[in-house]
Amino acid sequence: MLTKRQNLAEVMKGGNPDRFVKQYEAFAMMMRTPITRIKPPIGGEIVNEWGVTIRWPEGQLGAFPVHDAEHIVIKDITKWRDYVKAPAVEFSEKAWAVAVADAVAVDRNDQYVTVFVAPGIFEEVHYLMSMEEALMAYYEEPEAMHELIDYIVKFEMKMAKEFIDHLHPDALFHHDDWGSQINSFISPAMFEEFFVPAYKKIYGYYKDNGVELIVHHSDSYAANLVPAMIEMGIDIWQGVMTTNHVPELIKEYGPKITFMGDIDSGVIDFPGWTQENIAQKVETACRRCGKLYFIPGASQGMNVSSFAGVYEATDEEIDRMSKEMF
Amino acid sequence: MSKIEEVKAKVEAGKSKLVPGLVQEALDAGNNPQDILDAMVESMSVVGEKFSTGEIFVPEMLIAAKAMSKGVDVLKPHLAGDGSSKLGTCVIGTVAGDLHDIGKNLVSLMIESAGFEMVDLGVDVPAETFVQAIKDNDNVKIVACSGLLTSTMPALKEAVAAIKASGLNGFKVIVGGAPVTLEYAAEIGADGFAPDAGTAAVKAKELAIA
Repeated sequence: MLTKRQNLAEVMKGGNPDRFVKQYEAFAMMMRTPITRIKPPIGGEIVNEWGVTIRWPEGQLGAFPVHDAEHIVIKDITKWRDYVKAPAVEFSEKAWAVAVADAVAVDRNDQYVTVFVAPGIFEEVHYLMSMEEALMAYYEEPEAMHELIDYIVKFEMKMAKEFIDHLHPDALFHHDDWGSQINSFISPAMFEEFFVPAYKKIYGYYKDNGVELIVHHSDSYAANLVPAMIEMGIDIWQGVMTTNHVPELIKEYGPKITFMGDIDSGVIDFPGWTQENIAQKVETACRRCGKLYFIPGASQGMNVSSFAGVYEATDEEIDRMSKEMF
Repeated sequence: MSKIEEVKAKVEAGKSKLVPGLVQEALDAGNNPQDILDAMVESMSVVGEKFSTGEIFVPEMLIAAKAMSKGVDVLKPHLAGDGSSKLGTCVIGTVAGDLHDIGKNLVSLMIESAGFEMVDLGVDVPAETFVQAIKDNDNVKIVACSGLLTSTMPALKEAVAAIKASGLNGFKVIVGGAPVTLEYAAEIGADGFAPDAGTAAVKAKELAIA
């Protein structure tokens, strides 16, 4: 029997996996580092490392940046330098000790030591200035937007160096939501101008420094950005929603990129979820996407679910499909 | 190209810095202010259609709406009334328990650009607030309720039910949001459904003039 890591490698190279990869099983997430971004508790509010006020109201599935006039960080994009200051990423060896121990404890033959980065560049920009203002500024103030993105890239490169120096990760799991469920937020041309060069630098740096796998999360439609993802160096697109027609993507791009998802979290992960519904969605995904270049899993961007038991129930159904199809 | 055609082209291209000057030039050239406004509304309808078909994306729609808004600012003093709301008032909000505002804001922009006066109730709007807004505002023709989460779909149903049970009339209710389908909209008693912002404007207009 292959280890989790070997099995994933077989899926990605179009080889001979002996079962489906079960969601995030091959990734040992390093979440206790001193540079892991803070987030508010449910019902709480924080001002994060970049000065963005983030609230997680009771009863909501996630946190929201606050963008009223009082709280928005960038009040004028042409003067972004007056408002934006990247957080420090240098911490003592002592501060890294817990994360280093976490990494040492991982059997790297079985799992990838995986560092986690969120939010990504596109998200960071709209956290700082609101989605609407950001999207208009790509047209109206492109020079300032390029400068701001370059600044965030420099920050991400520093963060990457710290991760690499301390943990020697095997994989990067990087969030950046690039679309709604029906389309990408911006056109492929705009994406090519603003984001492809930025991510080529960041992902290239990780790869040049021993990181084997780049896993990118965008639980959205982004089928039109797959060529750009490949160019950036993404190995696995996690969060691929059913609206992307995943089997067609696998057929077209399979050997170049692996797709993780095809089970929309919204349709399995809700109050009153049922095992039968999850079984049906998992089976549909596994049968139509097949054994290679595909990892079945919920589109959610972490190895958790919004409602207790859903993640584990999904794992069980993937096990069942492995027994049926392998 | 006539001045009005230029205004149309620049609104569609989202040239918000150029549109006010062009609108002024169109006025100076003796064009009827209502004709200029109609031309801009037509531009936004083209923009909405291109968005719905995936030809353009959110930034292009936003800058076009901004360009139109700048043009309307120049036109307003020349129009009878405020001239921008000949289709009536549209009350819009994201339903209780849901804090997503981006989709709702896009729909609001597009419906406004189609010629409605907007009353935006924001996010996390209780059903009774929708009902109160219909009472508080004149000439409400459309009530648009948004819900982005599977878990807030019951709140969408509740909002539509409360609005329908209020005894108020003269308006139609449209719903939308990521998990909402045409079938679900019909099931909860909504009068209309739109899968995206461009279609929402078309649907609102169609229902308001029906």
